Amino acid sequence: MRRAGVVIAALIALAGCGGDDSSSSSSSSSSKNSPVIVSAASSMTEALTSCSPRDKLQFAGSDELAAQIEQGVKPDVYAAANTKLPDQLYSEGKLSKPVKFATNTFVLAVPKDSKITSIDDLTAKGVKIAIGSETVPIGSYTRDTLAKLPPAQSRAILANVRSNEPDVKGIVGKLTQGAADAGFVYVTDVNATNGRLKAIELPAEVEPQVTYEAGVVKGAKHPTEGQDYVDALSSGACADALEKAGFGPAP
Amino acid sequence: MLRAEARTRLGTLELDVALEVGAGECLALAGPSGAGKTSVLRTVAGLLRPEHGRVEADGELWLDTERGVDLPPERRRCGYLFQEYALFGHLSAWQNVAYPLRGTDRRQRAVALLERFGMAELADSRPRTLSGGERQRVALARALAREPGVLLLDEPLAALDARTRASAARELGAVLREVEVPALLVTHDFSEAAQLGDRVGVIDAGRVVQEGTPSELAAAPRSAFVADFTGAVVLTGTAHGAPDGLTVVELDGGGRVTSTDAAAGPVAVSVYPWEIAIEPAGEAPHGSSQNRLAAEVLSVTTVGNRVRLGLAAPQPLAAEVTSTAAEALGLRAGTRVTASWKAAATRLVAL
Amino acid sequence: MRWFPVALTASLALALTFLTLPVVAIFINSSPGDLLDSLGDPVARDALWLSLRCTAAALAIIVAVGTPAAYLLATRAFRGKALAVTLIELPLVLPPAVAGIALLASVGPSGLLGGAIDAAGIQLSLATAGVVVALTFVASPFYVRQAMAAFVSVDRTLLDASRTLGVSEARGFARVMIPTAMPGLVAGGALALGRALGEFGATLMFAGSFRGITQTAPLAIYDTYATDFDSALALSAVLVAVSGAILLSVKLVHGGEVLGGAPR
Repeated sequence: MRRAGVVIAALIALAGCGGDDSSSSSSSSSSKNSPVIVSAASSMTEALTSCSPRDKLQFAGSDELAAQIEQGVKPDVYAAANTKLPDQLYSEGKLSKPVKFATNTFVLAVPKDSKITSIDDLTAKGVKIAIGSETVPIGSYTRDTLAKLPPAQSRAILANVRSNEPDVKGIVGKLTQGAADAGFVYVTDVNATNGRLKAIELPAEVEPQVTYEAGVVKGAKHPTEGQDYVDALSSGACADALEKAGFGPAP
Repeated sequence: MLRAEARTRLGTLELDVALEVGAGECLALAGPSGAGKTSVLRTVAGLLRPEHGRVEADGELWLDTERGVDLPPERRRCGYLFQEYALFGHLSAWQNVAYPLRGTDRRQRAVALLERFGMAELADSRPRTLSGGERQRVALARALAREPGVLLLDEPLAALDARTRASAARELGAVLREVEVPALLVTHDFSEAAQLGDRVGVIDAGRVVQEGTPSELAAAPRSAFVADFTGAVVLTGTAHGAPDGLTVVELDGGGRVTSTDAAAGPVAVSVYPWEIAIEPAGEAPHGSSQNRLAAEVLSVTTVGNRVRLGLAAPQPLAAEVTSTAAEALGLRAGTRVTASWKAAATRLVAL
Repeated sequence: MRWFPVALTASLALALTFLTLPVVAIFINSSPGDLLDSLGDPVARDALWLSLRCTAAALAIIVAVGTPAAYLLATRAFRGKALAVTLIELPLVLPPAVAGIALLASVGPSGLLGGAIDAAGIQLSLATAGVVVALTFVASPFYVRQAMAAFVSVDRTLLDASRTLGVSEARGFARVMIPTAMPGLVAGGALALGRALGEFGATLMFAGSFRGITQTAPLAIYDTYATDFDSALALSAVLVAVSGAILLSVKLVHGGEVLGGAPR
């Protein structure tokens, strides 16, 4: 019995120690005392992980993260791949006024040795396409874009869709694994694959405006640090990291 | 007619057995656990393949290691009664009995068999609801269902409580007498073997050391082991000839007995407990019993209307007297007595 | 020592509360009307139907292949047996994401056997067959382990008896082994069924998510919960009800023995 007690006490002590990164010599944009909790869209995974390694980052589809905040989960910062979701939270009083901090390019991604060169090639029979689910930003951008195409083409392309993934990482996975022949993601996602995928730009008339917005969650534990983090997304180490990854500047 | 030979190594045991059982006859193999009895049964049934062996039953060759013949158990017509009965729990009594049968009349035949054992009313019961004796009867019926050419019984009474055992033994005896095929029975209990077997084979360390009718074995055990196994008292000593053609044995540890058997050198002396008379110590000898040993009572155990006395003379002895006599003599632990018996009842076996 | 029974009861109360509260919460938040509406929603119906079909297929494969395999492992000794058992149990300890990776690496389009599978004209990725493969992979150890334990616990002399009664080993397997081991086999099947019905991660990674083809009920729930929590709730409730119904019918058919009751 005694030995078990000692082990339990040790575990509790360890757990208590676990998560305080109070280093002031970091070059990250979060040069503050406590780490910030950030919920960010999957497309920003590589960029934000590299520019703010000491913060607690959580990546998923923007819609899933918004749902968590709706249900009362309180990260400090919410950064989404569209404006619709942050604006919705703001109107419900759950987020501070969101700030546009970056843009992204919506592209058609294919494996690097693919014979597909344009969106027209997607109507051929047997082409397997992976897109985002209806509610995740990448999915709604995709549907908006396809809706701008001639109906016959749009129908043919949708008929070739074989998976509605919950986030961009899922789409990229299907492409890199060879399961899908083409998918709609952001250019930053293609960049992150280091050459395994190539991006095909879409005609300007159908290209959607992809704007990223971020805000501080109401009732968050570290609102000041959270605001700092949001600010740094527009100009600071993280802004640089985003630009390096292929994101565009705020509109 | 069943003829079986088996020579094989089983772990540390070297089994070397050859036996013959006639139709309608029951051979009981009796011996301590680990002697190889069940292995003999399993060899006959085909559940064990010996290194060298031959089994012939009813004119059919079931096993011959020399010629590469080895019929699997399902092709041998054996009725095997397992020690714990091995009844199928998910089937009712009649379904168990009908298990080896085919045809649309399986149920009737099964119930008829059960009726023979007085179990017809319990035909639809599951084994777990039956008593030990009832399960034994179902297992027996099942073993007989296919009219086997050989009946094999593994400790048929061992799993029963003492009270059921007596009636089950009688019933089993009746069945064995009725059945016209060879029966091979194994048991660790000599009296069970004696009761059920027409002939008894005492098996020890993989070998049959003596075979004969139960009374032959009890009366003329060929070895100390057989004598001990058949329930006799066994003492050790050194024998030498004496006048009148008798043999005198100087017992190890003190004491001297006489026997009508001839022997010399180290011997085992055996006598049955019920042939030993007890009288208070110090009384003068009277009667024809030549053998008298001073002994001390170590234990007094009542067995029905008899009393079993554990004695030290100084070698251990056991004597059986009636309870009345024991009371009359006031026998209890520590009492000094004289144990006496006849030279003619004393068997000698060279060691 | 009076504290001991109290501690036992307290533990049970804690466990029960912790395990039932989330389930109860699902039902409190949806009215029976919502549940029925959910069943009327074609997306939910498709997802549920797909889940049931794929689980049934996976279970059929698992039982057909797993039962003889478990019997061999339970009754014969052979070199490398311990290794074989460990390998079979491995998917049990693999997190679903790792299972997904494992499937992609082995039978995915870029996997070890991907070329061969493609050449044979079989489509696993982004197809219903892929879902069945994923479910079979993650759920089979649940069945095989239970089946092994069930066979091991069957008294060997029963098979001996069956053979001496003229029934061959193969037929004895069906007539004695299986019925006697049945409670354990059913328990294993129920566990495997539960695991397969709830499988999510490996399916998503390996087969994708597309309505009617690969979007099983858990995937559908995940797809809708962010924007339509009530729909997700309703579909969850239906899934719980279906799983509960299956569990209950198994219990009724085989008595308390099967799923934890004391043997009768």
